[in-house]
Amino acid sequence: MTDVHRTETRPEVEDDYIRVENLEVSYDGTTLALADMDLVAGKGEFVAVLGPSGCGKSTLLHAMSGVVRPQAGTIRIGGTAVRGSMGDEAPLIGYVFQDHRLLPWRTVEQNISIVLRANGVAVTEVDGRIDRYLSMLQIDRFRRSWPMRLSGGQRQRVSIARALALQPAVVLMDEPFSTLDEVTARLMRQQLAELWQESGQTIVFVTHSIREALFLADRVYVLTKGPASVLDVVDVSVARPRRYEDPMLTELEGRIVDRVMRVWGYEGPETTDEAER
Amino acid sequence: MTERPEGSNHAPGGRVRERWINLALSAAGLLSLMLLWWFASRTTTFVPSISDVIAAVPAFLDDEDIWPDVVATVRRVFGALAIAMVAGLAAAYVMARGGLWGQVVDRYVSLMLGIPSTIAALLALFIFKRSEIGVYFVVAIITFPFVALILLQGLRTADRHLDEMSDVYRLPATTHLRHISVPHLVPYTFAALRNEYAHAWKVVVLAELFAVNTGMGARFARAFDRFLLVDAMLWLLVFMIILLGTEYLLLLPVERRVLRWRESGAATP
Amino acid sequence: MTEAAPTLVEGVGLRTRERNRRIQAIVLAWILALGVWQLATIVSDGWVPSLARIATAFVEDATDPEIWAEIWITFRRILITSVAATAIGITLGVASGLSRRADAFFRPIVVIGMSIPDPVYIIVAILVLGTDESSALIALVIALVPFVVTIVVGGVRARDRGLDEMSAVYRLGRRRYLLDVLGRQVAPSLLAATRTSFAFAWKLIVLVEALTQPEGIGAQIYYAFRLLRPDHMIALALLFIIVLRIVEAIVFIPLERRLFRWMD
Repeated sequence: MTDVHRTETRPEVEDDYIRVENLEVSYDGTTLALADMDLVAGKGEFVAVLGPSGCGKSTLLHAMSGVVRPQAGTIRIGGTAVRGSMGDEAPLIGYVFQDHRLLPWRTVEQNISIVLRANGVAVTEVDGRIDRYLSMLQIDRFRRSWPMRLSGGQRQRVSIARALALQPAVVLMDEPFSTLDEVTARLMRQQLAELWQESGQTIVFVTHSIREALFLADRVYVLTKGPASVLDVVDVSVARPRRYEDPMLTELEGRIVDRVMRVWGYEGPETTDEAER
Repeated sequence: MTERPEGSNHAPGGRVRERWINLALSAAGLLSLMLLWWFASRTTTFVPSISDVIAAVPAFLDDEDIWPDVVATVRRVFGALAIAMVAGLAAAYVMARGGLWGQVVDRYVSLMLGIPSTIAALLALFIFKRSEIGVYFVVAIITFPFVALILLQGLRTADRHLDEMSDVYRLPATTHLRHISVPHLVPYTFAALRNEYAHAWKVVVLAELFAVNTGMGARFARAFDRFLLVDAMLWLLVFMIILLGTEYLLLLPVERRVLRWRESGAATP
Repeated sequence: MTEAAPTLVEGVGLRTRERNRRIQAIVLAWILALGVWQLATIVSDGWVPSLARIATAFVEDATDPEIWAEIWITFRRILITSVAATAIGITLGVASGLSRRADAFFRPIVVIGMSIPDPVYIIVAILVLGTDESSALIALVIALVPFVVTIVVGGVRARDRGLDEMSAVYRLGRRRYLLDVLGRQVAPSLLAATRTSFAFAWKLIVLVEALTQPEGIGAQIYYAFRLLRPDHMIALALLFIIVLRIVEAIVFIPLERRLFRWMD
């Protein structure tokens, strides 16, 4: 299944900047969300985590951000172990939620500055970073706006700017475009890909859209249904910049679909025929 | 069949037309009240006619004697309300935290919700005799539990999503308090303020009636006792004008300004 | 390193702990309150009636059949006023909630109604119809309606408009819509409104009886006040509150449970 044509476009990486091993996380202590999860990402890599709805892939991000404690296993980011909320040596995490999670009663620039200041960014630095990342995401004109006045896509951009402005060790993205309409989502994917090339940020991107994962990532971790573990790892060695409709992506998508159809619980073609008869 | 949505005439002219119609209807509502007044003055002996009342207005306003009473009542309302808001917040906090003391306070608050103002006024009369403190006591005691109830709701419905975001970005407790917890409570604080402001005004009249000699409530009662019905009516009108005036010209604009972040962009239909 | 998941046994323990805590709280609340009261008695040199005196007065009153007759009188009045106010309030409230125009018309009336202090209504009603019962009751109903309307309007406005559209598309008809679609959504507000009008009616009735009527609990309380018998004042109030609480428990709680069954 894995396509191992390593092309020269693959960036030079620190091979295991992020290392997740044997991770086991449960919801509320009883139901297991993740069972024996492994994941490796090099510095500056774009890694996608693909799974059906409710399989626990969001829980993976919760554990990686230190908000949820795993029942077993380890998570290391940049060499440091992630272990619940901790002190200053903890790696900085940028997080983009599915539902932006901006403070509606603070302006865009305040939303970003609050997070930056809370994570120890010097006052003198803050403005500069806000300038830089707002223009990077082309929303500088909304600097003083209230989040509620922005469209869904614009709010998500603020959320991304907030994450990037932190200049974190890793940016965790939890289905950030799934609530947007298709056109906006396409634009955002495009922009994210460009941004990533420019910034060299390490990104772990969770999604349930196969095409989206293939378009954006260097490597795709395909998960099983809950409790989730790794079903397969797909190397996406399609040259960048990629086109969303690229036939090579289509081929990869087809292979993944075949592979996961039964595992994720969808009926195969025979059943559809039967139903039609 | 359910009503067709009104103002479904979406052309801009249609929407403006809607607003005029509604304005006219509101005026009609007011007019019907005036009609009621006029009717009452014609058919009863004690309701003064509208013209009599209007005629007495200039003399009334000129009379310097009325202002100290107005000021006294206003002072009491704002003072007692402030006490009630602070106490209400404290109580709501304790209740939200739960545990033994939370439940204890909960019982007290529920009990206090049911105290009739009359009884509170009589009680105050007993305890404080005929003093100013009695009025503050009554108003504060009556409004405090309602404030606590509303603020408790606010504290209970904390937005878990924002709390999660705050955890992920490791916002320190002070930041969390200042930028998330407190702003979340603001709409609830205004709801409590709005409701209990009017409530306080009505209770203060009652308290003054029972307990003291100064203030608008006392003047109203005195005018009525002496059968100076025009005066009584004027005091009533002054009372209502101040109450509604401060509510619509003070509270509402402030609330709207503080909550301006709520308005969604023009894009949303 | 890894946290142990709380076991099922621990979960059960949690529930009993909660219940124990609640009982503790009740006991503590009572002890504290009574303690403070006794203190007040001592400090005020007998102005504040002691618990013993109150208890005696309570027993006296609770066993006095005349007092129960008064209780019934007051209760009957509360019932009439709150039912009438609720009925009128719901009608106006639903109309205002559904129709912007009805709301525009009634809004000023409601707002002004809510800003008039209670004594005014009562005095006016008394003078209009003479000192008999119907006058006071009418005044109270008028005083209560604005509150009920406000609560109901809030509930109607907060309805799911999507269901409105569905009702229109499936041509459910007005009656079906009001009962099954709107009614169900508005039920919690209606319940709140009924409870509120019941509670407010109690407060107002006491005021009315204190000011005018020769009968009813409020009147009795006022007499006790006049005769400088604070122990009886408190005892009577307590007695009546207990009666009301019992009624609430019998009527409202089961109603609430039935109404919200679908939520489970």
